[in-house]
Amino acid sequence: MKSFKYVVKDELGIHARPAGQIVKEAKNFESAITVACGAKKTVLSKGVMGVMMLGVKQGAEVEVSAEGADEDAAIEAMQAFFESNL
Amino acid sequence: MFGFFKKNDFIEIGAPVSGETVASSEIADPTFAEEMLGKGMAVRPVEGKVYAPVDGSIALLFDTNHAITFEAECGAEILVHIGLDTVSLKGQHYTPHVSTGDKVKKGDLVLEFDMEKIKEAGFDTITPVIICNTDDFSEIVPVTGTSVKAGDTVLKLKK
Repeated sequence: MKSFKYVVKDELGIHARPAGQIVKEAKNFESAITVACGAKKTVLSKGVMGVMMLGVKQGAEVEVSAEGADEDAAIEAMQAFFESNL
Repeated sequence: MFGFFKKNDFIEIGAPVSGETVASSEIADPTFAEEMLGKGMAVRPVEGKVYAPVDGSIALLFDTNHAITFEAECGAEILVHIGLDTVSLKGQHYTPHVSTGDKVKKGDLVLEFDMEKIKEAGFDTITPVIICNTDDFSEIVPVTGTSVKAGDTVLKLKK
């Protein structure tokens, strides 16, 4: 399993649009990708609702993990996405 | 050819607001036009009142009150997003009447918004209605190009 931690800089946090983008990005990979924030956690394959319900705000730390055959590529892509969009 | 299903074969989702129904592809925001959050449609509201589209519960009222998700008893996860880019209003002009976790009945008033003030602030008030768990349904049929009252069917779902 690969993972990284990231503190969200975007002032609007993870609202509907970024939730959709994150789930779309995750679909490019076979690995199971999860996003956790505080006590809440969601698997991206379950869709956007779970991501929106994390309620991630500016300044919150999230932990993104990937597990599966392409976990290296998946975590690299997710990290790039978070750094350039959030 | 396939139009002869009994009405009961479909789960019906009511319009959360009164207005004109519009296809997703016509929404001026790629997040919705490309159905990135799921399949659905939109209503161009004529009144600033949002009603529960189904029996179920409030899965999430966004902190900024501009969007609300419903967990329907039928299993649909429905996002009602009032206006485009309205997350930027940070709650201004939205007055919720429910909280996350509340049970609702179809037709309950859940939120009011000041349509004129939101327009004055430069935002489009078009309200996408999205089935977030699109993959759980074999068919999602939107109603578009009509005038609806809150509660009239705007999406028909088949498991």
